[in-house]
Amino acid sequence: MRIPTALYAARGRSPQSEKDVPFQEILPLRLKNTVSGKADSGSDVACLQEMGVLFACLKDNEFVEKYCHKEISQFQNCFKCYMDRKFEAKKTVNQGIVQPGSNLNYKQLNKYMRRYPNPL
Amino acid sequence: MSFLSIIAGKTSKYSSLRLMSVYPTQYVEPIVQKDKQNEQKTELSKLYHVPIKAAVNKSSDTVFHDDTKEKMINYITKKGNSALARTLLSKTFELIKRTQTEHMNLAKGEKNAINTNAETLLKQAVENCRPLLQVTAIKRGGVTYQVPVPITTRRSYFLAMKWLLDAAREKERKVSLPEKLAWEILDAAHGQGRVVKRKDDLHRQCESNRAYAHYRWS
Repeated sequence: MRIPTALYAARGRSPQSEKDVPFQEILPLRLKNTVSGKADSGSDVACLQEMGVLFACLKDNEFVEKYCHKEISQFQNCFKCYMDRKFEAKKTVNQGIVQPGSNLNYKQLNKYMRRYPNPL
Repeated sequence: MSFLSIIAGKTSKYSSLRLMSVYPTQYVEPIVQKDKQNEQKTELSKLYHVPIKAAVNKSSDTVFHDDTKEKMINYITKKGNSALARTLLSKTFELIKRTQTEHMNLAKGEKNAINTNAETLLKQAVENCRPLLQVTAIKRGGVTYQVPVPITTRRSYFLAMKWLLDAAREKERKVSLPEKLAWEILDAAHGQGRVVKRKDDLHRQCESNRAYAHYRWS
């Protein structure tokens, strides 16, 4: 059986009146002109697969390196490519130099938004 | 071209740290060796209007120049006494040469197979001691894990030479450094001895800790 709300009101379960709780704007109700950089871009761990393959090979060959040349060179190439990419990114993307497209860095986005800020 | 000369050329490619440098960032390392200058003839024209750092006092364009030797001397140096370090390394090479010549003379057959060149033996020793990856301590949930991590070429050569010297310094008081270092280099060049074992132990530790590799961040 549904109990009508009026009966609740009689017991004190009335909705709040706004005069008792005035609205306070503690944080500004506006969008900021910046993007936070805290989102984890550092969770891409490089060369895990190559490392796994290398460990498997070493385990099989009793840690004698000369039987694992291929895996070793693969692992080292992977790491070298990763470091080169990081070096390039440091020069361009991490400085905030904008290259139009998708997947912009937070620095690039901030530079963009500073040019077109939200109206106050 | 030797590995260290390539690395010396690209001094701070990955590290942006310029600790305690008297020179501004634009300054470039000088190329002291004449044959290296000749190799990079086309790139030298780019350096005409680039300021160059002063050459180090002890650098010279000799036939006997070797990058591994220079690095080794620098690592042996204590309190800036590189002259003493140089004499120690030359005594080490003399001892290596003596032992190897003795082996060669006592060998029954194939005398040419025994290498008496101390420089190449040092290079071989360093190559044999180079680790493939290293461990870093990473703290997760109050526990510090030893996580396997890739290693740069530069650091691998540094670790190899450092381990050789560490092993050479763990000695009795009466044994001189050149003696002990000569034994360690000869052992490592033949793929045996303490330093190669240390590298092997590191590889085994990495392999046993491979599950922690996901704790890395980049």
